[in-house]
Amino acid sequence: MNASRRLDPVLLLALPAVLYLAIVYGVPLLMLLGRSILSGGTPSLAPFGAFLSDPFSWTVIGNTLRIAVLVTLLCLLIGYPTALALSRARGAAQALILVAIILPLSVGVVVKAFAWQIVLRRDGVVSQLMMGLGLWSEPQRLLFTEAGLVIGAANVFVPFMILPIYSVLKLVDPRLGEAAATLGASPLYRFFKVALPLSLPGIVTGVAFVFSMAASMYVIPNLLIGDRFQTLATLTGRSFLFMRNEQLGSTTAVVLLVLTVAVVVGSAALSKRLGGAS
Amino acid sequence: MSQGFLSVAGAAKTFGAATVLDGVDLAMDRGEFVSLLGPSGCGKTTLLRIVAGLMRPDQGRVALDGQDITRLPPHKRDVSVVFQSYALFPHLSVAENVAFGLRARGAPSGEIAPAVKRFLDLVQMGAYAERSIKALSGGQQQRVAVARALVVGPKLLLLDEPFSALDRKLRETMQIDLKRLLREVGTTAIFVTHDQDEALTMSDRIAVMHRGRIEQLDTPAAIYARPATPFAFGFVGLATGLPGTVYDSANGIVTVATQAGPLRGPGHFLPGSPVLLGVRPERIALDHGGANRIEAPLADAAFQGARVQLHFQAPPDGQILVETPSLPAAAGPGTSLKMSWAIDDTLVYPAPAEAA
Ligand SMILES: Nc1ncnc2c1ncn2[C@@H]1O[C@H](COP(=O)(O)OP(=O)(O)OP(=O)(O)O)[C@@H](O)[C@H]1O
Ligand SMILES: [Mg+2]
Repeated sequence: MNASRRLDPVLLLALPAVLYLAIVYGVPLLMLLGRSILSGGTPSLAPFGAFLSDPFSWTVIGNTLRIAVLVTLLCLLIGYPTALALSRARGAAQALILVAIILPLSVGVVVKAFAWQIVLRRDGVVSQLMMGLGLWSEPQRLLFTEAGLVIGAANVFVPFMILPIYSVLKLVDPRLGEAAATLGASPLYRFFKVALPLSLPGIVTGVAFVFSMAASMYVIPNLLIGDRFQTLATLTGRSFLFMRNEQLGSTTAVVLLVLTVAVVVGSAALSKRLGGAS
Repeated sequence: MSQGFLSVAGAAKTFGAATVLDGVDLAMDRGEFVSLLGPSGCGKTTLLRIVAGLMRPDQGRVALDGQDITRLPPHKRDVSVVFQSYALFPHLSVAENVAFGLRARGAPSGEIAPAVKRFLDLVQMGAYAERSIKALSGGQQQRVAVARALVVGPKLLLLDEPFSALDRKLRETMQIDLKRLLREVGTTAIFVTHDQDEALTMSDRIAVMHRGRIEQLDTPAAIYARPATPFAFGFVGLATGLPGTVYDSANGIVTVATQAGPLRGPGHFLPGSPVLLGVRPERIALDHGGANRIEAPLADAAFQGARVQLHFQAPPDGQILVETPSLPAAAGPGTSLKMSWAIDDTLVYPAPAEAA
């Protein structure tokens, strides 16, 4: 019918956001894309071919994906139980956990880097803890290692995993878990068959947030691991800032963008499949 | 043997300063259908949650089928619950909801599908097996919730106001269907309601709850005819209550001075005791054939199909309720009519405390 096809006036409320994104994000993105395929004056995919045929590029892509996946997994591992606790907590306990999650967001990455130096160096807190537990036989340095990078990045991004999962979990009717219990489901069975599937939309959002941030982080690798270790994002930065190679920079930027979008869209599609009826 | 299939002894629960359950005792036979009837906030849901294991009592014990289950977690109790909000799993289909309990208990996969089909057919939802829960009406969700709870063959089924969200017509159908279904499956059940008609029609016995206690546990007929407390009298069935003071007591019959005149009833009270005198509306006849006789002006008549309900003004500001097959000829608002009832139809209670 005609009336239903007409644009909903409420959509006009999205106009400021659309304009803003178009100007500060869409236009530069198109320029970037243009620069990556318009090197010699005629459009060509040659820059991508050149980039992808260089073995070093594959090391960089591998670094990017490995770190992003590890950071996302670590955030999920830490974030899910926290979100669950947060959704069950009441009153003061809940407020306290929320503050503990949100407050660190207001501390800049550079400030955090100083803390990490203390935590991750050879005589740092982690090393001493592992020695104390008898897990390590001699002190080890985590600073300037991939493990240190993953730990530090997860520390920055974990709120972006917790909050979306929490916001979904708190809407799940607590009676559902009780109903499952009275039907004979053990706590573990209830978790895997009720709480987890129902929180899938929150997990997908959290994974999309953390993965895209971890794949494109620039400052944190610079502070925690340095030049020896390159990701698509750090390589993009170096190309523009130090190597003055805009061709390479825009190519790596586009590759990074494609990878991130593919993972985000893919995980959303996967959750739809797994979520079935919901 | 079957006596005490379920037994709750001295169950007590407080939340902060509020005593919600104040020493509840309840014993049920195997296969029995007992309703918990009481006003909002009297502790019905709390008692149910304690029996289901969703809440620990502060004091008291719960035993089922000869086993003390007071400290057993819910998933080891074999007690199914139909929640007021149904609590169906929104991410599962109708059939998967019903299969949930069987899967959780590790039933052989070959047995699950036939059992699910059987119970969906029993609640007349066989045609909806593959539907999403969100595409069901309230009554249909309710049926699925009952099938899901029964398919695991629980020792005990608990239903917390399962029909309160349904309209009257559907509710009556569901009451009959549920009763038939439970008889077929042979399940012992506790049914929570604050609707006295529902309790009277469905139950083998009714537990009248008031302020965290069970005031009377008896058959519907006995509760209606001989309510044990003024609360049970007022809560179950329509009733007239006249306050008064005993001035004579002999041979188990007390004579009570009321604003409507002297009235008599069975009871043992000392002269001077304040009492509440009660009588059911259908026990009052519009003549002076009974021993307790009064006359009062008609205030209002409500036609109810097969019967007429008459409201009389009783001094000083009370109301007398009478039910008769038909309105006496020439009676209108203001007409003063004679009425009477037998001494044996009179109920005499100690006057309830004022502040109560
Ligand atoms: N978790 C709780 N914390 C504090 N108070 C509670 C809690 N659960 C119940 N109560 C209180 O206990 C009392 C009894 O509650 P309960 O839910 O058992 O009543 P009910 O008889 O089921 O009432 P209704 O017919 O309205 O469902 C109420 O006053 C309620 O406010
Ligand atoms: Mg209740």
